[in-house]
Amino acid sequence: MIRPSVQVRATLQRTTPPLLILLSVAIIILGKADQTMFESLRTAVADRAAPLLDILSRPLSAASSAVDHARGLVEIYQDNQRLTEENTRLLQWQQIALKLSSDNQQLRGLLKAIPESAVSYETARVIANSGGRYVRTVMINAGTDQGLARGQAAVASEGLIGRLTEVGSRAARVLLITDLNSRIPVVVERTHANAVLAGDNSERPRLLYLSDSAALQVGDRIVTSGEGGVFPPGLAVGVVASLANGIPQVEPFVELSQLGYVVVVDYGLSAALPPPASPMATRASAKAKGSDSSAVVR
Amino acid sequence: MALRVTSIPALPRVNNGIGRAWPLFTTLVMAVLTMLPVRIPGYAALTPAFTLMAVYHWTIYRPDLLPSTGLFAIGLVEDLLTGAPVGAGTLVLLIARAGVLRYRRLFVNRGFPFVWAGFTLLAAAVMGMLWAFNCLIMLDLIDIRATVFRLVLTVAAFPAASFALGRSQRVLIDAHA
Repeated sequence: MIRPSVQVRATLQRTTPPLLILLSVAIIILGKADQTMFESLRTAVADRAAPLLDILSRPLSAASSAVDHARGLVEIYQDNQRLTEENTRLLQWQQIALKLSSDNQQLRGLLKAIPESAVSYETARVIANSGGRYVRTVMINAGTDQGLARGQAAVASEGLIGRLTEVGSRAARVLLITDLNSRIPVVVERTHANAVLAGDNSERPRLLYLSDSAALQVGDRIVTSGEGGVFPPGLAVGVVASLANGIPQVEPFVELSQLGYVVVVDYGLSAALPPPASPMATRASAKAKGSDSSAVVR
Repeated sequence: MALRVTSIPALPRVNNGIGRAWPLFTTLVMAVLTMLPVRIPGYAALTPAFTLMAVYHWTIYRPDLLPSTGLFAIGLVEDLLTGAPVGAGTLVLLIARAGVLRYRRLFVNRGFPFVWAGFTLLAAAVMGMLWAFNCLIMLDLIDIRATVFRLVLTVAAFPAASFALGRSQRVLIDAHA
């Protein structure tokens, strides 16, 4: 290898940092002008880094499981009592649900309603988060290989957490409902008033464009409205936590800062979104849908 | 102006491959550490800026081993993986490096409290810049409270990082210089 002369190296050393600073500024402007420009680069880097992040996040995941386990041992007696009570109550609800379900089926039969499309689930682990940046996203260790697609809903047991915005072959990014760019069509369960749930990077997203704001009360449940065709209607999102300054704030049902596992649900609504680009991707996703998920739900 | 380029001083050559790669490697490790999901309420938004600690430490003690090109690559990877606006974090790291390089002579061979105070100033400037850039990029006034908390956590976490980096430097770099 030819070693550059001392002068050349000194010049390079002096000119490189300002050039790189200018390059960063150019990248920011380009990224702002064309939001999709870095998307393929993002997914490519995420795919490469996913196995490493997966391994590195395991000890943390195990540690918090151990903490949960220890806490569970301490509270075992109280939990048992509470669960016994809850079980009795749930058995009654089960009877009601079974009756409603059979009623529903009969009535659907009478109406000749089109059956709801099949729903498929994929459980994935959170392997990275936004690390203090001004975004609210998490990266999960599943992608098109597992049948995931852009726009699908990510939920936890308590309710909606967000939707997939970037999907690589083995990693995907979930835009949380608290992110500044998140806009979700919702409905107030009690009053059936439509609104848009808008994230603002705080813990509590706001309700915008509420059709009947006077009737809103603290404690009202907010669920997805199904408008826009991305989420099915009725998915639990959160409760109205405050009405200060006339801006209703919603406390999400899911503790978004403590996500361990998420479930990505395909409600068969992605038909509204453009189909995958290559036949390879279609085959891969068909194959993945056939095999069952290996991940375990916490 | 901080952007004016200060040349990198001639430091003793390190005759150890691991030692020469160590500053870049630890900076990358810090970047990854920032992203790992720790299940503490609110942690994701308040994660200390570990990468900045590595940049500060190495720019003071071994700026020759933390070239701007390497830092640019690390910043870009961090921006891409965290889902943040691409380039903003990179820009801030490069400006931080240029700024520290300019005043590094004040910090070499000084006691830890002085170095810590210097880091506090740097972290405040960097967090303020990041906040302003993101407000500009998103065209929205972002609540600054989270930024202030993040600054406090970052300054509080610095001694541990500084200790670890200093120890590893003595073993892997200074011993081979």
